[in-house]
Amino acid sequence: MSRQASGLRAWALQRISAVYLGLYLIYMLGHLSFNAPESYEAWRAYVADPGVTFGMLLFATALLIHAWVGIRDVLIDYVHPIMARVGLLSLFAIGFIGCGLWFAKVVFLAGVAA
Amino acid sequence: MKFFVYRYNPDVDTAPHMQEYDVEVTRGMMLRDALMEIKRQDEAFAFRHSCGEGVCGSDAVNVNGANLLGCTTPVSELKEPVNVRPLPGRPVIRDLVVDMSQFYQQYRAVKPYLIHKDALPEQEILQSPEDRDKLDGLYECIMCGCCSTACPSFWWNPDKFHGPQALLQAWRFLADSRDQATEERLDALEGPYKLFRCHTIMNCVESCPKSLNPTKAIGKIKELMLRHSI
Repeated sequence: MSRQASGLRAWALQRISAVYLGLYLIYMLGHLSFNAPESYEAWRAYVADPGVTFGMLLFATALLIHAWVGIRDVLIDYVHPIMARVGLLSLFAIGFIGCGLWFAKVVFLAGVAA
Repeated sequence: MKFFVYRYNPDVDTAPHMQEYDVEVTRGMMLRDALMEIKRQDEAFAFRHSCGEGVCGSDAVNVNGANLLGCTTPVSELKEPVNVRPLPGRPVIRDLVVDMSQFYQQYRAVKPYLIHKDALPEQEILQSPEDRDKLDGLYECIMCGCCSTACPSFWWNPDKFHGPQALLQAWRFLADSRDQATEERLDALEGPYKLFRCHTIMNCVESCPKSLNPTKAIGKIKELMLRHSI
């Protein structure tokens, strides 16, 4: 991340991702309240819908971006020794990428099986 | 009225301690008057004060956990016992006197003066009443330091984060129609520290004795930066 990208872009990404997360959560709560899939197969069929797949992947991406900017803020604030900060940032980066890949695998596998 | 006052003389004391004083409260007594009475009782006690009417910003202290100006705070509004401490996060020089150098450095870093690139006109640079109104709530800052020393982001990174006071002044000049260095000022605020350590905690707004709103000013700077980058 370039020096230019580290302030404004992180801040803007956090806000944009927050808007999507908020809207998606409202949609999801509404969907689960009024039209929840009733069985495992119904869940798979629901997730396999290309629109839903795309929306979910975007949700995971937005969540990870949001979390990354947030955790980076916390580490910049509190962890001052540079090696400790780099270590923790790497740990979270690897964890977040792992979560993202796992989420993508779950969503795509539902599509493949359906 | 009972006061517990932070005492520390680095030349003599190994550690700071809270010292108890009893002050007879008179009608209309301000905290500054009480501190002056304590000074009468104990000449070794040190604190800063000057104008006595909330203009110079010298006598900012932390009282019962909140930053305020001694001269504009009636003692009748304070809960007893009154715990008086120096502004948090600043190195103590002696008793309530703290070293504000870093705070001034951050102020200096935002270039708190008009930068005009065109040839200066013969007369003053005129400003419409509407443009002048944009400076209300910004120029009144007396630099007492209540806001910046109440800001957790300034506690963690006082050398890198400008802090609410300096950022309020950064916006004061960005908002000024006579200033011609908008791009340079915005560029200077980029990066994760100077501006973007602000997490909208709003301790600054709560503690400002002049009822100014640095958080709002910081939001305006971010908005302007975004508009200039897309």
